[in-house]
Amino acid sequence: MANPIALLLREQYSTPVQQRETSKLGMWIFIMTEIMLFGGLFLAFSVYRMSFPQAFVKGSADMSIVLGSINTAVLICSSFTMALAVYSAETGNRRMLTVFLIATMILGLVFLGIKFTEYYQHYLQHEAPAVWFDHTGPDSGHLEMFFVLYFLMTGLHAVHMLVGEGILTAMVIRNHRGSFSADYYTPVEISGLYWHFVDIIWVFLFAIFYVEGLHLHKL
Amino acid sequence: MSTAVETRPALNYLNQETGIRSWLFTLDHKRIGLLYVASITFFFFIGSFYALLMRLSLLEPNGWLFGPGTYNKLFSMHGIIMVWFFLIPSIPTTLGNFFIPMMIGAKDVAFPKLNLLSWYIFMVGGLTTLFAMIHGGVDTGWTFYTPFSTSYSTTWVTTAALGIFIAGFGSILTGLNFIATIHRMRAPGMTWFRLPVFIWSQYATSIILVLATPVLAITLLMIGVERIFQVGIFDPALGGDPVLFQHMFWFYSHPAVYIMILPAMAVISEIIPTFSRKPLFGYEFVVYASMMIAALGFLVWGHHMFVAGQSLYSALTFSFLSYLVAVPSAIKVFNWSATMYKGSVSWDTPMLYAIGFIGLFTVGGMTGLFLAAMGIDVHVTDTYFVVAHFHYIMVGGAVMGYLGGVHYFWPKITGKMYPEGLAKLSALIVFLGFNLTFFPQFILGYMGMPRRYAAYAPEFHTLNVMSTAGASILGIGYLLPLAYFIWAWKYGADAGPNPWRATGLEWQTSSPPPRDNFEETPVVTRPAYDFGGMKEELHLG
Amino acid sequence: MTHAISRKTYLFTFLGLLGLTLSTTLLGFVDMGPFNMIAAVGIAACKACLIAAFFMHALIEAKVIRVVLTGGVIWFLILISFTLSDYISRSW
Ligand SMILES: [Cu+2]
Repeated sequence: MANPIALLLREQYSTPVQQRETSKLGMWIFIMTEIMLFGGLFLAFSVYRMSFPQAFVKGSADMSIVLGSINTAVLICSSFTMALAVYSAETGNRRMLTVFLIATMILGLVFLGIKFTEYYQHYLQHEAPAVWFDHTGPDSGHLEMFFVLYFLMTGLHAVHMLVGEGILTAMVIRNHRGSFSADYYTPVEISGLYWHFVDIIWVFLFAIFYVEGLHLHKL
Repeated sequence: MSTAVETRPALNYLNQETGIRSWLFTLDHKRIGLLYVASITFFFFIGSFYALLMRLSLLEPNGWLFGPGTYNKLFSMHGIIMVWFFLIPSIPTTLGNFFIPMMIGAKDVAFPKLNLLSWYIFMVGGLTTLFAMIHGGVDTGWTFYTPFSTSYSTTWVTTAALGIFIAGFGSILTGLNFIATIHRMRAPGMTWFRLPVFIWSQYATSIILVLATPVLAITLLMIGVERIFQVGIFDPALGGDPVLFQHMFWFYSHPAVYIMILPAMAVISEIIPTFSRKPLFGYEFVVYASMMIAALGFLVWGHHMFVAGQSLYSALTFSFLSYLVAVPSAIKVFNWSATMYKGSVSWDTPMLYAIGFIGLFTVGGMTGLFLAAMGIDVHVTDTYFVVAHFHYIMVGGAVMGYLGGVHYFWPKITGKMYPEGLAKLSALIVFLGFNLTFFPQFILGYMGMPRRYAAYAPEFHTLNVMSTAGASILGIGYLLPLAYFIWAWKYGADAGPNPWRATGLEWQTSSPPPRDNFEETPVVTRPAYDFGGMKEELHLG
Repeated sequence: MTHAISRKTYLFTFLGLLGLTLSTTLLGFVDMGPFNMIAAVGIAACKACLIAAFFMHALIEAKVIRVVLTGGVIWFLILISFTLSDYISRSW
C-alpha cells in the first residue's frame, strides 16, 4: 500500500511537517493583512467617534443590545464548535468532525439571520444611510456617519462570514470524501484560524457599536 | 565565460511543455515570472505613452495639444498605470518570482497555485483599470484626493479604483507567498545570514506589501462606497474629513515607495559584488538597513501632508522621522561604494545600470531630505521639484534597478546573451535622457512652476523644451532594450550556466534552469558572495 | 499527533468568553462617560487574546507565528496612534 502521507505531499515540499507549517504560516500572514484591512475602518471609526462623541453615543443607543449580545454569544459558540472540529480532526474522528463543522455553519447562519433582522429594524427606523435615512436635528449628519460606519463594518464582517460558510462547506465535502485523517488535516486547521479571526473582529465590533449608548436605553 | 562547459540543456522549463495552455495554467514560478514580465512591459509602454503625450503638450507654454480636462486625465492615468501596474509589481513579481526560489535552493514558491492566482488577479485589476481609461479616463491624479474624487469628479473614478483594489489583492498574495517561501522553503544549510541580500530585500518588500496594501484596499473601498451610495465618509459637506483620507492613503503610499525601491536595491546588491569580484561590504549592515527601511518607512507618511492641515506637532514628528529613513539608505549607498573600492570592477551593462542607480538614487534621496524639511516643503509643495524628486527615485532608482536586473539575469532566464555593445549604448542613452528630462524639473519647481497644469508661464519655456527633448531620448533608451531582448531571445549566443562567474545558487544550475530548478536539492555550506571559496572550487574542478 | 490543547481548556475558554460578553453588556448599563468605550474595548481585547491563545493555538505555535500576530497588532496600533495623535494635537 502506498504511503498515504506521501500522496498528500505537494511536490515543492520535502516533508509533511514543512507543508503543514508553511500552510499555517501563510494563513497567519493572511490574518495579519486582515487586521490591517479592518484596521482602516476601525481607524475611521475612532477618528469620527472622537470628533462627534454625542452623535455616536446617540447612535449606539439605537442598537439592539439584546440581539447584539445574543449574536456575540452565538458567534462564540460557533468558535467553540470550530475548536472542537479541529480537535476531532486531530484525533482522526471524522464523524465528529462533520458534526462540529455543520454545527459551526448553522451557528454562523443564525448569526447572519439575526444580523439581517437588525439591518431590517434599522431600515424601518429610517436609519439606513443612502436608502432611507431621515433624522433631523443638529447631529443628524454625524448620526448618519455612525450608521454609515456601522453598515460598512458589520457588512464587511458579514461578507467574511459568508466566505467562511463557503470554506466550511468545502471542508465538509472534503471530509465526506475521506480527505482528512489524524495525519493530514491542515485545511481544517487553517479554516479554523480564519473562522476564529472573523469571530475576533465581531468581538470588537460589538464593543464599539453596542455598548456606549446602553445607559440611555429605555429597554 | 571561463569554465562554463555545459551548453544549453536540451530539456528546460521553457520547452518542457509547449502551447499557450502550458503557459496560462503553469504553476512554475519561473513561467509565472515571465507572464508578469510580459504584462508589466505592456503596462509600462502604455504609461510611457501618456507621459510622452504630456511632454509633447508642454512643448509650448499654452499647452498646444490638450486642454486642461484632457491633460488632467493624462497625468492621472500615467500615474495610476505606472505606480500600480508597473512599479509596484515590477521587480518582485518578475525577478522576485523567478529567483527567490532559485536563490534559496527551492523547487518552487510555497504556494504555486496562489502564485498563478495572483497573476490572474493582477491582470483582472489591470484590465479593469484599462477599461476605465479607454472609456473616458480619470482626472483625480493617482492620489484620488477627496472630496474631489468622491463628490465632484465625473470621470471613471469608481472603475479605476476598483481595478486598483483588485490588483491590490494580487500584491498581498504575492507578498504572503514570498514570506512563507523565504521562511519555510530554504535548502539545507541556507541559514538566514547566508541568504543573498536580494532575498533579504525582497523579504522586507513583502512585509510592506502585506501590511500596507490592505489599508489602500479599504481606503479605495470607502471611496467607492461614498461615490456609489452618496454617503459622507470623507466629504466635509456631510461631516467627513478629507484629511483622514490622506492619512489612510499615505499610510500605504509612502511605504509603497519602498515597495518600489527596495527590490531595486536587491538587484543592485547582487550586481555590484559580482562585477567587483568582492563580497558585499558589511553584509549584515545592508541586511539590517533593509529591515530598518521597511519598518521606518511606515512612520513617515505625514510628510505628504505638511500643507494639509495636519497638526504642527505631528508634522514635526513626521519630519524628524523622515530624516531618520535617510540613515539606512545612506548605509546602503556607502556599502555598495565600499564594495567597489579596490575591487576588480568590470563595466558590463548590469554594472552600468547599478552605478547609474546609485547616482540617481542619491540625488533623489538627497532632494527627499529637502522635502522632509517643512520650511522648504511648504515652498515647493505641488511644484515640479516634487515631480523631479520622485522621478529620480522611481525612474532613476526603481526602473534603472529593474533594467539592470533584467540584463543581469537575462542569461539565466533565457540561456542566451544579449548584444553587449548595443546594451551599453542604451544604458548610456537612458542615463542621459533621464537626466535631461528630470533635472530641469528641479529648477522649474524651485522657480515655482506648479505641477499638474496643462499650461505654464512663458519664462519656464526653455527648461520645458529641454525636459521634453530628454523624454524623447529616454523613450528611445527604453525601446532599444525591448527590441534587442526580443532579438536575443531567439538569436543570442548561448550563455552557459554562469556567464558572470557569480556565486549564488541560481548560477550553479543550467541556463535556462530545469523545471525543478536543480537536478538535486543543493546543500549550502558557504556564506553569500564567497568569491574566494568559488576560486578554490574552480581550481579543484 | 499530540493534543496540545485539551477539550477541558476549550470549555473553560468558551465559558470565559461568555462571561466576558455578559460583563460587557452589564457594564454598558452604568454611565461611565468615555470610560464605557474604554472598558468595552479593553474587555474585547481580553476576549481576542483568549480566542487567539487557545482556540487559534497561538500560544503553542512556532515563534514566527507569534511574531506575525504581534506584528499585525503593532502595525495596526501604529496606524491608529499616529493618526489619532494628529487629531488630538491639532488644538494644542
Ligand atoms: Cu513619502
